[in-house]
Amino acid sequence: MIVKVNNLVKRYKELIALDHFNMEVEEGEIIGLLGPNGCGKTTAINCILSLLSFDKGEIEVFGKKMTPNSYDIKQQIGLVPQEVSVFDNLTVRENIDYFCGLYVDNNNLRKQYVDEAIEFVGLKDFIKFYPKKLSGGLKRRLNIACGIAHKPKLIFLDEPTVAVDAQSRNFILNGIKKLNKEGSTIIYTTHYLEEVEMLCKRIIIMDNGKDLVSGTKEELKAMITTSEKIVVGFSTVQDEVVEKMKNIPHVIDIEKDGEDYIIKFENGFNNLTNLLDFIKKKDLTYTKLHSQLPTLNDVFLELTGKELRD
Amino acid sequence: MRNLFRNCLYQGKNLFRDFGFSFWSLAYPLILSVFFYLSFSGMMNIDLENINLGIEEGNRIGYILEEIEILNIHNISQDQAIEKLNNDEIHGFIDEDLNLRVKKSGINQTIIKEIIEQIKQMERLNRPIGNYDFEVDYILDRNQNANPIIVTFYSLIAMVSTYGVFAGIVTVILIQANLTNIGARLSITPLKKYNFLIAGFIVALTLNLFANGVLFIFIKYALKIQLFNEIKYSSIFVILGNVFGTALGIFIGASNKRSHNVKTLMAVATTLILSFLSGMMGPHIKVMLDKNIPILGRINPISIISNNLYRVNLLESTKSVKEGILILSLYSILLIFSSYMFLRRRNYDSI
Repeated sequence: MIVKVNNLVKRYKELIALDHFNMEVEEGEIIGLLGPNGCGKTTAINCILSLLSFDKGEIEVFGKKMTPNSYDIKQQIGLVPQEVSVFDNLTVRENIDYFCGLYVDNNNLRKQYVDEAIEFVGLKDFIKFYPKKLSGGLKRRLNIACGIAHKPKLIFLDEPTVAVDAQSRNFILNGIKKLNKEGSTIIYTTHYLEEVEMLCKRIIIMDNGKDLVSGTKEELKAMITTSEKIVVGFSTVQDEVVEKMKNIPHVIDIEKDGEDYIIKFENGFNNLTNLLDFIKKKDLTYTKLHSQLPTLNDVFLELTGKELRD
Repeated sequence: MRNLFRNCLYQGKNLFRDFGFSFWSLAYPLILSVFFYLSFSGMMNIDLENINLGIEEGNRIGYILEEIEILNIHNISQDQAIEKLNNDEIHGFIDEDLNLRVKKSGINQTIIKEIIEQIKQMERLNRPIGNYDFEVDYILDRNQNANPIIVTFYSLIAMVSTYGVFAGIVTVILIQANLTNIGARLSITPLKKYNFLIAGFIVALTLNLFANGVLFIFIKYALKIQLFNEIKYSSIFVILGNVFGTALGIFIGASNKRSHNVKTLMAVATTLILSFLSGMMGPHIKVMLDKNIPILGRINPISIISNNLYRVNLLESTKSVKEGILILSLYSILLIFSSYMFLRRRNYDSI
């Protein structure tokens, strides 16, 4: 176990930012902390890293209690903070070299690591640029390079793709996969569902400072009632016909979404065949018909009663 | 040691390229020096050409005084002299025994006094006064010691020697996780806080001393004002000013959670007020304060520096040097210790 957080409580005066939060991270995995803005993801990371004091709970990193003076533990950690945190008056290369030099003393090794980090984030053509001359996406890449250049065993990435263009975002996400393949354990916080679905082996869903559930995406999706959603659009349909669709086996709910209907099914087989039989029997004409597996948003919706993107 | 060197290198680069440093430490002192030079030079020129001096009718040196271009001689009685002195129509009055009567002190009164002193000295030496060119003697031989612009420049140097205050602020806010994002990032690295602060202190001192050097060269070669005749103690006070300024910056940076801009304004206000009280905006402020609140000149760090620069360079007096060094050192130690108390916390309630 690389990180173990047990019953962590953090209060900001009256506000409970972390409410008996728990987390366990195995070596070599990418774990996603998923939750809406303000749910406590960054606070959890800051507590784990001993930046913030906390009211209750235990934190262990690499099997040792984490404190502000745990320099041996810090030596093995990399952080990519949510805000771009680099020196405005140092160039791209100088920034990466400075942060890498805090961990790596050997000049030749550091130079090699810095070159590799520049290559890794694709900033080779910008090494003499000052951060203010870089676009938002390139600044984010620099922010990442400063956090990973020293090849840490454990990397915290706190919403690294916020306000990033699609090209840089894909670049960053592919880079994270590569880091993981090279042996780094990654703790990744985000409120983007697609990112955790694409990256993470395990996911912890957070809300109001609590870890609601954790598991692989398949495990999480298996926890909710809805197991399949079929989206169907009709040229014309009577309300009473829609009402009768609820009698199709395993249907648990029907929602209207614009001109379309989203029919939710609980666990069962042949849901699509049963729906098509109903359409044929009622002589309806459909304009659209496709089946979806539940998303993490459905998991979040069922657990909290609200959309993740609210 | 290696870490310290790398921190000095990168903090130095970061600070040297910072606009705040370029402006406050490099450009602003030069602008102020030019401003003072222009304004005080103008004032001096006008006064030197218009010194109104009253003498008694038939005064035996009247014919000599009338030859001096900078003096406007008024032949008046003693009774008229009192009235004209009270009305500020004349700067001084000389009776037939060559006694000088003035109503207040000032540059013009000092000039009259020196002229009379020279005449008296010539008389005592039995030299032919009539052949002596007092104007040439006075204007050329008279060194610039009594020139108020010199006093003002010592105050300016005292003030800018404390401008390590800005670099001190930057150093602290860069390592404080609750003040900057970089501070938060650095706090989770193996970098020890004191390592970063010591490097910041060295960088602040070095760069501000460099900025001071640029100012001294500018004053000497561009404005052609010779300020330093005594190097040892002058250097000590300039360096101590730098130490005090940097310590003050670290204290301002560490003692509150205000933004960088607010902290900078606090530093500007503090140094400007202390400089104002030390006579930078005009020697009359200093004269008035020295007369009414003499202790202020002894405890105001900028007064301590400017007074000692004045004394060791112009009066060749080292009487108050030890006291000045001691007080400035105490201030610096106190500020650093207080800053340590604020900075010693290792994690935060909120960031």
